Amino acid sequence: MALTSKSTADTKPRPALPSRWWMKPGRGSVSWLELALLVLCMALVVAPVPHSYQDVIIVTLLWGGVAIAWNIAGGYAGLISFGHAAFFGIGAYTSTILLVNYGISPWLGLWLGGIIAAVFGVTLALIGTRLRGPFFILSTLAAAEVVRIGALNWTSLTGGAEGLWITPTPSIANMVFASRTAYVALVLGYAIFVYLVSKTIERSRYGLALFAVRDDEDAASAAGVNPLIARTWAMAASAFLTAIGGSLFAQYFQFLDPTHVVSPELSFQFALLAALGGLGTAIGPVLGAIAIMPLSELLRSYLGAAFQGLHLAIYGGFLVFVMLYLPGGIASALERPASRPRESP
Amino acid sequence: MTILEVDRLTRSFGALMAVAGVSFTIREGELVGLIGPNGAGKSTLYNLIAGAIAPTSGKIMFQNRSVAGWKPYHAARAGVARTFQIPKPYRKLSVVDNVALNALLHDKSMAAARRRAEAILADVGLADQAGNPSTILTVGELKRLEVARALALRPTLVLFDEIMAGLTRNEVMTMTTLVASLPARGITVIWVEHVLYAIMNAAPRIMVLHRGELIADDTPENLVKNPGVIQAYFGEETTFA
Amino acid sequence: MITFGQLVLSGLLIGCIYALMSMGLTLIFGVLRIVNFAHGEFLMIAMYGAWAVTAYLGLNPYVAILAVVPAMALFGVIVHKLVISPGVDKPHLVLVFATMGLSILMQNVALMFFSADLFDVPPMFGGQSVIVGPFFFKAELLLGFMITVFCTIGLRWTINSTYLGKAIRATVQDSEAAMLMGIPVPRIFMIAFASGSALVGLAACVMMPLFSVFPTVGLNFVLIAFVIVVLGGLGSIEGALLGGMCIGIVQSVSSYYIAPAYGQLFFFVLFLLVMIFRPEGLLGRRGEATVGIN
Repeated sequence: MALTSKSTADTKPRPALPSRWWMKPGRGSVSWLELALLVLCMALVVAPVPHSYQDVIIVTLLWGGVAIAWNIAGGYAGLISFGHAAFFGIGAYTSTILLVNYGISPWLGLWLGGIIAAVFGVTLALIGTRLRGPFFILSTLAAAEVVRIGALNWTSLTGGAEGLWITPTPSIANMVFASRTAYVALVLGYAIFVYLVSKTIERSRYGLALFAVRDDEDAASAAGVNPLIARTWAMAASAFLTAIGGSLFAQYFQFLDPTHVVSPELSFQFALLAALGGLGTAIGPVLGAIAIMPLSELLRSYLGAAFQGLHLAIYGGFLVFVMLYLPGGIASALERPASRPRESP
Repeated sequence: MTILEVDRLTRSFGALMAVAGVSFTIREGELVGLIGPNGAGKSTLYNLIAGAIAPTSGKIMFQNRSVAGWKPYHAARAGVARTFQIPKPYRKLSVVDNVALNALLHDKSMAAARRRAEAILADVGLADQAGNPSTILTVGELKRLEVARALALRPTLVLFDEIMAGLTRNEVMTMTTLVASLPARGITVIWVEHVLYAIMNAAPRIMVLHRGELIADDTPENLVKNPGVIQAYFGEETTFA
Repeated sequence: MITFGQLVLSGLLIGCIYALMSMGLTLIFGVLRIVNFAHGEFLMIAMYGAWAVTAYLGLNPYVAILAVVPAMALFGVIVHKLVISPGVDKPHLVLVFATMGLSILMQNVALMFFSADLFDVPPMFGGQSVIVGPFFFKAELLLGFMITVFCTIGLRWTINSTYLGKAIRATVQDSEAAMLMGIPVPRIFMIAFASGSALVGLAACVMMPLFSVFPTVGLNFVLIAFVIVVLGGLGSIEGALLGGMCIGIVQSVSSYYIAPAYGQLFFFVLFLLVMIFRPEGLLGRRGEATVGIN
């Protein structure tokens, strides 16, 4: 009675699809690789490495966390944004202003920063709801520039181009630490938190609906999903988590100015880390961060002095190459071998 | 009881009237075919009923509610399911997840949705593809995936759009049996098809659309004698599947 | 009142030059359906090229056009072959990121070779202005405006009256059908990309007397270019001209009456408004922004 897929016309053998047992076998489950990375990161917290290495680790973990957050909008929802630095900056400035002007602990301030960023995110999603492809990307770029110029000129609030300083009286309440190790732990906690959120979304009903909207909006709509609402939630979550990363950054770096904190270059970086690592997976952005951040720091310290800019030139060239020849990112290279049909990222 | 009523429904695109004043009524439990040469307006009619586009004028009543201009997700939640003539799978998801998403409209947990998805996949003969990425399916299998997704929505009205393309003769027969069994399960069916031998044998009532107008609405036996239908099909060069 | 008129007219002139810079971007988008995020860097290296011809050969930037434009066209061919054509069949975000990578690469190569200092060419006509009625205009500005107008007319003529132009229009409308009709679409893509690059070269020579060059100058201008092409309608050359004129006037007037810092803010707000209410721009094709490119 039931049909089978083996009919008389079907003589072509199906391609074998072995999966590597240590990579994630399916959507939403944890693999050995991820566990191994987790253990490695925790080890890095306590390992006695030199301060300069710790700085690299901090930046890698923090950027990795933000890249995961970016990925919720960019990879899961298909909302590629080159404006996430705006959310980062909103988080950083909100918690810092609250700390410096009102003495409110960043542990509280970062939530407010997240909420404000989420509101911006929702606005962005609504503005861009009808836009596709490069049009949407350019809108995010423009919106972030509006935030940057606003921050630059609203000197009474943000200190303008001169920036804001956090005077470091180390205390847990102020989220200022004397030891770098504490910061490593802090950003690792952040990265794990964002990762867990991302994984949870991935395996949830909402996540499946979001992927469907990303893959084919009309079909998802015909399946009962409201694409606008799905995308808006994704952008809000992404913005919220990115802003928290910004707050943590402010606490670590202790100096903010719009040109560096709300810059297009920063936005590109978040997007790039996620894209290089693999857009549709939670682990992808982590892999991207791990692959790129230490590399770029390494290049900078070895080559930066000799030829200013060489390290970034190499970085740029590497990006071009990877994007063209490995569009699914590092995660896709680790997943299934070439017998799987060429997939888009 | 009337499940769908369409009254002088019109949709124009600039100067082109894709659907021109179409009116018909469909009662619960019917299995109604919809045929017509290419360009007749069948897909546009489906898009209107399913909410993908809004009419220029005219009424659509689903279960006695006026629904013209509703959105596709409203339609799905109300119990209207449709397949797409050119299949639109969720490319980065597996076959079972493609169906599970639709099942989630009514099932509350991912596990329940996946179980029901697997059962429906078995009904359409895609059970052994369940875990595979949807990108490896052939066109015929994609059409069956479309049927599975539509059924997963637990619809009361389903709009099939050329689901037989790419199936062998045996598979056509089996799929026809599946479609014909739906009214007994409480699902009203409208069925656009080019594979005429399937639909002429299975559907007791067939509507014929030509250049946006409903030119006939009758039993298959009468249709083959209808001069307007004959002219529509033989007057322009149309081939049967 | 005269001040206002002066502002509007100067804005119009500089806007046309911005438009020239943006035409390459819109041409490339119209034909290849990609956004070249390295567009600003193309402008930047062309400007360095113009500067080099001026500094080392003693020629003026307008004569440099004869060298820079062909060089940029060749550069465009190379980039197309190496970066663009491998990515054209892939989802658009591959080329988005690839062109971004290219932009980073180019900025830093420039940094390595030229350092971060600003370079200028000496003023051409002794810094004198041309007087038209009650208004003053820098000679370079007027010259740039005239070159832009000629160039636009030339482009229009090419698109409308030559076989190549017809092939380009066919490719824009439906590249698959064009290929079936015997049009060598990959070659058309290459020609369009190289032409876009050459246009940038022309713009660079015209802009060199008016602006300084430094490795990140591209970033300033690329954002202006994006706003212009979106405002004018992606893919439309006349749209770019119209968009450029609007932007030039907006920048000129708002910088004077409000504050220079806010000048840029206005562009972006304008951009966002266009995106919300008329994403296809003034002269673009309806539905392109909303229905999607592919």
